[in-house]
Order: sequence, then structure tokens, then C-alpha cells
Amino acid sequence: MDQKTRDELLKVFQSKLNQAMTFYLETCSRCGVCTKACHVHESMPQVKYIAAYRAEIVRRIYKKYFKGQGKLWSTAGQSKELTEIALEELYEAAYSCTGCRRCMVFCPFGIDTQMIMSIAKLLLVGAHAEPEILTLLADTSITKGDSLEVFKEGFLQGMKNLEADVVKKWQTEAGKTAIPIDVEGADLLYVALAGAHSIIPAAAIFNAAGENWTLSFFEAVNFGAFVGDPSRTKLILNRIINEANRLKVKEVCICECGTAFRVMKQQSGEQPFKVTSITEVHAKYLKEGRIRLDKSKFKEPITYHDPCQMARNGGIIDEPRYVLSHLTDNFREMTDDPRYNWCCGGGGGLVALGEDTLDFRMKSSKVKVDQVKKTGASILTTACENCHTQLSNLNDHYEMGVNVQFLSSLVSDALVR
Amino acid sequence: MQTVYYIILVPMVYAAFALFFFGTAIKLVQLFRKPKNPSTLQIFPERGNPWLRAVYDTFLLPTVRRHNPLLWVFLMLFHISFLLLIIGHLELIEDFSVFQVIEHEIFLGSGFIGLILSISLLFFLFRRLVSPNRELSVPEDYYLLILLFLTVLFGSEMDWARNWYDYGEMSVDEYREYLSSLLYLRPELPESIVQSGHSFMLVLHVFFANLFLMFFPFSKIMHSFFSLPMNKLRRG
Repeated sequence: MDQKTRDELLKVFQSKLNQAMTFYLETCSRCGVCTKACHVHESMPQVKYIAAYRAEIVRRIYKKYFKGQGKLWSTAGQSKELTEIALEELYEAAYSCTGCRRCMVFCPFGIDTQMIMSIAKLLLVGAHAEPEILTLLADTSITKGDSLEVFKEGFLQGMKNLEADVVKKWQTEAGKTAIPIDVEGADLLYVALAGAHSIIPAAAIFNAAGENWTLSFFEAVNFGAFVGDPSRTKLILNRIINEANRLKVKEVCICECGTAFRVMKQQSGEQPFKVTSITEVHAKYLKEGRIRLDKSKFKEPITYHDPCQMARNGGIIDEPRYVLSHLTDNFREMTDDPRYNWCCGGGGGLVALGEDTLDFRMKSSKVKVDQVKKTGASILTTACENCHTQLSNLNDHYEMGVNVQFLSSLVSDALVR
Repeated sequence: MQTVYYIILVPMVYAAFALFFFGTAIKLVQLFRKPKNPSTLQIFPERGNPWLRAVYDTFLLPTVRRHNPLLWVFLMLFHISFLLLIIGHLELIEDFSVFQVIEHEIFLGSGFIGLILSISLLFFLFRRLVSPNRELSVPEDYYLLILLFLTVLFGSEMDWARNWYDYGEMSVDEYREYLSSLLYLRPELPESIVQSGHSFMLVLHVFFANLFLMFFPFSKIMHSFFSLPMNKLRRG
């Protein structure tokens, strides 16, 4: 690596050194309490998968260039130069971490390994060594935001085609559109994913609850966050913020996508609207009696996988359980409790990388499979697209024989008048 | 030899404290002037008042208790003993009535604090020799533990000699004479401090303690200051 590239990458590194990040990089005592925290390590016990070890790969570069100790006495902390080999190590550390933050529950200081890994990811973007597909997907989202007119007609027609399926699930009142789009003054803006499964059940439930809602032109997923690029993350986020402000909605409701929800909820700043997850909205409808569910619809035992970005990192823990209490009397909670819930193994962009990461995803998530099996449930439900894909892959790979379902699909299937 | 003793017991102590105080202060100021993270770093479920929970996390290490109870026992013993040790050393400068609320002899702990610390430090050291802690450790981790162990060992030996073997040549009054003279910038070395049979222990104790203090601001021991704000980040 030439000096110019290194200097540029170090500038990128420095841009990440805010107060919290510096705390995290200065403090690890390498006590090893996080050893048992990572699902990758528990499924494949190798030292490189321990949270502290991953973080140390970034920390060693920090010590070399940003810490007095590394400059004066580099052997003490085994500080390390930023080289091509270091970039390879950063890649392996960052893209074997799903950002579930389970290690943060174990660490006596609460070190956020996901945040440290965001330095690794950003350095890889700077060195053009990141998984290209993620950047491509992020750029496509940004382009869509910049030139909405080009996409608009096709999108409107596509949604028109879905309306019949929505009506099949829930008959709308005469004269009402099943999928309202671009409605100024709507109470709620629903941000879905590209895919009918993310739109049809949600639309049916909104219509059943008599919600004054409108569908966003944009998909919720934020590939900028997966690839660890804050400027792309912000651009993708801004498309939705601008749309919400243009339509003057009171609430932005994010579909079943953990990262999209967390980014929108925690990074959109002060806005005139509130941000909710679709699971929260469904729980609210049930509490207010705006929708009713038929408990006899699903007779088999149901378990729920807490998506890390929704539950541990987003606080949506009680709501899905409240919804499930209206769906079944045979709910099987996973052990340990949601604080210690194992990641599905698909986060951090790994699922988006598809086949390339499939083998790793299957091997690294053995503990999740065991956790699901222990419940004895035959329906495995979740509220995140990534988790759903990964759990379905696990179901096939390990022949678990469970029926993997989105929570919103169960709700829409059980709707009664 | 007397010159070496003098250098270690007087100028090096000043240098070590200067580096410790200024180094730590500069580091803290630099860190707290950095911009805050724009979004929350909290984990859920929320567990009561964030500040109270952060204090609980910081001082009682509940996550270690849950996931590594043996390490937790030694960590608690170590940190409590270390606190008592600081009180003990303050009392070697002069009387503090506030510490004598529970009446005790000076030096505090009848030699057992040093013993607990030594055993804890050996435990911390040897556990690093076992995988996966061995692979996680960097030289700094060993240096710090060895440095602390040597400091504690030579310090405790003097204490054990007085408490357990009735060694009376170096008494509390003489330590006070030496330490308060350092504090009031009129350094004096009483004869018994530098010329008794156990003087080498004191000199080595002070030497290693000086090194520890000098290394402090550049090391992971800064967690003493960072742990609370970091736990606050986790608790929202």
C-alpha cells in the first residue's frame, strides 16, 4: 500500500474517532468475558471469532497511528501498520460479525464491537475492498431517491397490480384504495421493502384498522448501513425523511426490517414525525381494539426470533409478544431470554451477500438452530427480512422442519371482523 | 547506592506523579472534548435509571458475575483491596479522621490486603496463559500485571514484616515523615527509611509503583476513569 493511500485511509479512520469510539478503542482489558458472547465463536470455536479479538484487529491500527503508547512503545500493545494484509484481516473480522451486539451485554465496560467494526467497514470502502454488491445496492437506492420520476410510473402500476391480493385478505370499503400512495396529510407513512410479501399483509392490516396511511415510494432497507458508509446511510435515510416531511405525516412506520428500523429510529434526528416499527403498530391496533385476530387459526406451537436490531438494539421486545398472545395460546419463548437471544447469523449485510456467504452463515449459526429446536415449536416467526431469509436457509440446511413466517403474515392471515 | 535510593525515592516519585496527573488530565480533556456519538448506543431492555444502572455495572460488574463467577470473585477482591490500599497509603501521609470512622490500625488490613492483592494478581496473570485468554492478551497485559505484582509484593513484605514478624525498624511515623515531606515539597529521607535492612524493599516498591504511575495514562488502566461513562452509553 502506498503512502498516499494509507494517509487517506487514516483520515477516514480519524473521521470515526468520536468520544464513544475512542472510549471503546482505549479501554478493552482483554478479560475474555465476551468469549461466550458471539454466535460465530460458539458455533465454530476459533479465537478469531471472539469479540475482543475482532475489535483488537482495529484497535492495533488505532494504537499505531492515534495512541501515544503505540508511537512510543509499539510492542507493548502489538500495534500494527495499515497494510494490504491488515485490510484482509479487517475484512474477515468485519464480515464475520453480524453486528448483533450480544457481546455488548457481556462486556463489563459495554464495548460496542459493531461500532468498532464500522471502522473496518469504512476503511474497506475507502480502499475499494468492500463487498461491491453492497455498495452497488446502496448506490441504486440513492439513485432512486435522486430520480424518482423515472421509477414512479412503474412503481404505481406495480402496486395497482397488488391491490387485488390485498382486498382478498381484507375487503376495503367502497371507493377506498387498497394501497394508497403519495397521500398528503396521511397519518402514517409505511416504508416497505421491495417485494409483495412486505406490502400485501401490511396493507390488509392497515385497512382493517381503518388507518389513514400511505405507502412510501422507497424501500426501507439501508445498504449504506450494511456496508458501513455513513454518508451513503444518510443519503438513503434522507429520501424517506424528505418524503415524510413532504406528505406531512405524523408517523413513519418501518416494515419488518431490523436495520432499516434502527437506522430510521436512532439516526433520523429531531423530526416532526415519530418512528415506529410495524410490530409496534400492530400491538397498538390490538390494544385499541382496532383489529381482532382469530386465535384458532394457528394450532401448532409458535416461537419468536427476536431480530437483534429490533430487540436488543431497538427495544421492540414486549410488542411482538403482545401480538403473539392474540395469535396463540401455545407460544414457546426461546431460552435464554431476549437479552441473550442468539443472532440468526444473517445480519451485517451477510444475507444481502447471498450465496457468497451461505456456507459461513450456515456453519456460524448452529447455536441458533439448537435454540429454535429446543422450543419444540413448529412455526418460527420473526419480524425482520434478513432474519427471515437466514432462518429459512437454516431451516433448509439443517432440515429443521419448521414453518418460517413473518409475524405480520400471521397477523394478516388471522384477521377477523 | 544512596544516590540511587535518593533518585528513586525523591525525583522519580515527583516525575511519576507529574506524568500520571498531567497525562491523565490531558487524556481526559482530549476525550471529553471529542464530539458525542450522534445516535444512542443503548441496549435493551431498559433496566431502570440509566445512571444508577451504569453505576451498578461499573462497581459491581454484574456481567462478569453472570458469565465468569470465579473471575468476578477475584476482580471484586482485587478492586476493593486496591481501594483500601489507597486509603492505607493516604493514612501513611497523615491522619484522616474520616477514614477512622471504623477504627483501625495504620497500615490498614493487618497485611491481608496485600496478600489478597498478590493472590488476585497471580490469578489474573496465570489465567492469561491459558487459551483463549492467551491469544487475546497483548504484552501490555502481562507487563501491567507483573509491574503491579512486584509493586504489591515489595510493599506487602514491609507490611507483613511489621504485622506478622514484629519488625520495628521502619515505623508508620517514619513513613509519614518521608511521605509528608514529599507532599509539602521539602523532601527528606529519614535514616531508618534508607538505611535499615528492609530499605531495599521500600525502594523497589516505590520504583515499581513509579513505573506503574508513569505507564498509567498510556495504558488500559485508564478504564478506571472510562468505565462509568462507557456503561452509561450502554444504558442510554
